[in-house]
Amino acid sequence: MTDIISRRGVLKGAAAAGAAGLIAAPAIAQAKWPSRPVTMICPWGAGGGTDAVVRIIAGLLEKSLGQPFGVVNRTGGSGVVGHSAIATAAPDGYTLGIITSEIAMMHHQGLTQLTYQNYTSLAQMNDDAPGVHVKSDSPYKDIKALAEAIKAAPPGKFKASGTGQGGIWHLALVGWLQGMGLKPDHVAWVPSNGAAPAMQDLAAGGLDFNTCSVPEARAMIDAGKAKSLAIMADARMPQFKDVPTLKETLGIDITLGSWRGIGGPKNLPADITKLLGAELKKIYDSKDYKEFMDSRGLTMKYADGAAFEAFMADSDKKMGAFMKAAGLAKA
Amino acid sequence: MLMSDRLTGAVVATLGALSFAYGSQLPPVPGQQVGPSAFPMVIGVGLVLCGALIVLGVGRRLEEVAEADVALHTAPELLKPPPPWKAWLALLPPALVAFYALASEALGFLPTAAIMVATASSAFGARAKLVIPVAIIAPFVVNLIFLKLLRVPLPGGLLPFPW
Amino acid sequence: MMNTIVQAFGLVFQTDVLIAIFASAIYGLVVGSLPGLSATMATALLVPVTFYLSPIAAVATIITASAMAIFSGDIPGCLLRIPGTPASAAYTDEAYAMTRKGQAETALGICLWFSALGGIAGTLSLMVLAPVLAEFALSFSTYENFWLAMLGLMCATLVARSSPIKAIASMLLGLLITCIGIDNPGGVARFTLGSTDLLGGIEPIPALVGVFALAEVMRSITEREPPKLEHRRLGSILKGQWKLTKEYPVQQTRGNIIGIIIGVLPGAGADMAAWVSYAMAKRFSKTPEKFGTGHPEGLIEAGASNNASLASGWVPALLFGIPGDTITAIAIGVLYMKGLNPGPTLFSSQASSMYALYIIFILGNIIMIPLGIVMIRIASRVVSAPRSAVMPVILVFCAVGAFATAGNNLFAVWCVAVFGLVGFFMEKNGYPVAAMVLGIVMGTMVEQSFVTSLIKSDGSILPFFERPVASVLAAMTLAALLWPAFSWGLGKMRGGRAQAA
Repeated sequence: MTDIISRRGVLKGAAAAGAAGLIAAPAIAQAKWPSRPVTMICPWGAGGGTDAVVRIIAGLLEKSLGQPFGVVNRTGGSGVVGHSAIATAAPDGYTLGIITSEIAMMHHQGLTQLTYQNYTSLAQMNDDAPGVHVKSDSPYKDIKALAEAIKAAPPGKFKASGTGQGGIWHLALVGWLQGMGLKPDHVAWVPSNGAAPAMQDLAAGGLDFNTCSVPEARAMIDAGKAKSLAIMADARMPQFKDVPTLKETLGIDITLGSWRGIGGPKNLPADITKLLGAELKKIYDSKDYKEFMDSRGLTMKYADGAAFEAFMADSDKKMGAFMKAAGLAKA
Repeated sequence: MLMSDRLTGAVVATLGALSFAYGSQLPPVPGQQVGPSAFPMVIGVGLVLCGALIVLGVGRRLEEVAEADVALHTAPELLKPPPPWKAWLALLPPALVAFYALASEALGFLPTAAIMVATASSAFGARAKLVIPVAIIAPFVVNLIFLKLLRVPLPGGLLPFPW
Repeated sequence: MMNTIVQAFGLVFQTDVLIAIFASAIYGLVVGSLPGLSATMATALLVPVTFYLSPIAAVATIITASAMAIFSGDIPGCLLRIPGTPASAAYTDEAYAMTRKGQAETALGICLWFSALGGIAGTLSLMVLAPVLAEFALSFSTYENFWLAMLGLMCATLVARSSPIKAIASMLLGLLITCIGIDNPGGVARFTLGSTDLLGGIEPIPALVGVFALAEVMRSITEREPPKLEHRRLGSILKGQWKLTKEYPVQQTRGNIIGIIIGVLPGAGADMAAWVSYAMAKRFSKTPEKFGTGHPEGLIEAGASNNASLASGWVPALLFGIPGDTITAIAIGVLYMKGLNPGPTLFSSQASSMYALYIIFILGNIIMIPLGIVMIRIASRVVSAPRSAVMPVILVFCAVGAFATAGNNLFAVWCVAVFGLVGFFMEKNGYPVAAMVLGIVMGTMVEQSFVTSLIKSDGSILPFFERPVASVLAAMTLAALLWPAFSWGLGKMRGGRAQAA
């Protein structure tokens, strides 16, 4: 950090030193990062899955680096507001954030210019696969029965939900329908404010099935109000061994998940990037992180900075293709 | 600041018309019978109707009754209108909030808040004996509450919080 | 059974849990009473702290702090006409009117006493009726939610004292404000003018702070200093509350029941409970004309209601992991983080933890009374402090509170400034700002439930009336809608007859 002192930092330092002279000037204090509290921006609300992941990571970073890592929920606009706040922060290492799969989606919808390229990617920490959930007394006992019924029904008869219009689980549905050779709107999508209200509506009998992730459906499943018929992943989940994959039952291979990783604004100083990369790897391997992810039912997936960036590039392309097919992308 | 019902009603109706016009331009969403245009359009119609009724003075009588009620419960000296120039002072508080939005990042919380408090307090007619201590102590205490109790860091700027 | 309860007491009466309850009680009281910081904000800011606590202590902080914050949100509303939380906005004018009549103590006493009673009633419902209430909550699909939201909107005209037309206009303006952004069922950007911040929409809190707190500062700067309230030795705050409890048993019970029902329903929380209860109190009152002039009836019902809803909001959260309001949404996160995963197994396998939770609820509502009295005593001094010192500080809180609520976003500060201007002009011209806040709180629910219902029914409106619960709610909505016209017609007829005779 000593060799890259930003102009802003110098100005601030000079001003502070000149104005007050009592307080250690930031320019000197910047000798070793982090010398003051770090802000972690979460584009989603307090209490949700993303919030939980970023908070556990922030807590563990705080423990090992000795400075407070405060989580700030900058919500709204389906994640656009928070993601843009991370990208536009000063690249001094004091503002970081959690980047979610929406960054690969929202620019296709024309909501923002931001893409994964606007960030310094540090590490991927998680990847959740979509599932197919029905009400517990649903007539469809397994995924095959549901798939047959969907194929036989006229377009728009079946209703599904899990998130908002054009959200990640909507794309999962589109992918599944395409895999069955059906049109993307063969099943009508009912937008909801997240997975929990969608699961509530499923249990209230308002929907035929949900495509949110298994951890999001878990409480309802445990309560005996819903059951999972399949997950859309490469392999079964260790916490839910009885739920088959789409691949093994229907031979449809979709790997499109809701992933999360830690990033900062573009052009973070190299030494900070290196230090954080190493710290995040340590956190990923720690017992605390594993226990937390297991208890929440979240799927662990790690990639280092470079691999995460490549993964995001690939995800960006895939999501774009799905969204175009579903008529959700602009142009 | 008190405007005639005709004027405010017209403003309400205009907002409604704008909302309707804007709403009608919005593209439909495939698979949704009622698209994003419906809600702004319905609200627009409602606002136009309300605006028209307000312009016509419908419901005015009820307001007079309510005002008379409130007057009944207010001390008489409060009802005397203050000098008209005072009305313009009303713009000061929002201006100070805007000042916070503009200046807090660069100046830092403590100086910005001190300026806000000092200005507002003087405008309320306080003497320097009160203005100066309040402008020094209040920002400090507020910063303390946010930093320690709520764990929300406020912008440091020129004069960061000393601990 | 007995064993589990003993175990539960053991879990609660640990030093760390008791300290957590006490500290978070004070924290909740302080945060709730600061204008611009809501109960939700108080809860959200506790999340990082719960990291370092044992599971029971962690949940205890959330429960206690949220209950305290909902109560203490009434304090600035009552003393300065600045509601601390949206749940207080419905009856702020009423409480402030009592203060101007020199009855600040009574008004705050009502808020405190009936809040505590409401909270305890809510807890009892949670203990006894959780499974029943949970089933009821699960019968709510988007059709029912739509009628519920409509009923909530109806309250705008009931609560306002001035022209109902202007109340409806204000409410519609509130609804229009919720159209801003892309958080609508179609995910289409509306009224954003290309701004990223507007894409996120307008949050209720900065708007509330603007139209109430900032507008109040603006008003007071233009007016002469009001005569000092005669300084009396503070009478016992609770004096007379028992009398009121006996005088208004129906209002209190109804407030509790409505609070419990609304709390259980996903998507509706303490805010809506307070509105509906205040409106109900007025609708069924023998003296509706006294409402808004400093009359305790509405305060009792609404104050009981919003705290009752808080406890019952935990029912769907604990059983299904579905948040009843924004506070329980955060609480669910904490439950997961602490290994108390929501679900019926929580009631069976971790029964002692569940009982511990109930005990914390009761305990929290009991210590609310002494701590609340201390808080009221301290806060009452604000009224006697010079206006030129209090108002500038409130101004700073307006700016910085909104900033913190929005995740350190300066856009929220701009919102406060704009809504201050809007609120000031509206109030001066007889447009009730409370109705606008109601519109902002309810807007998303109205549109979301309507649009999604139509998708599900393939455009048919029949299911809005066919489903059993929906049909009842529809009848209630239509009755509420037609009642004014009906009673107006009736009055006209009677008046005509009287003239003829």
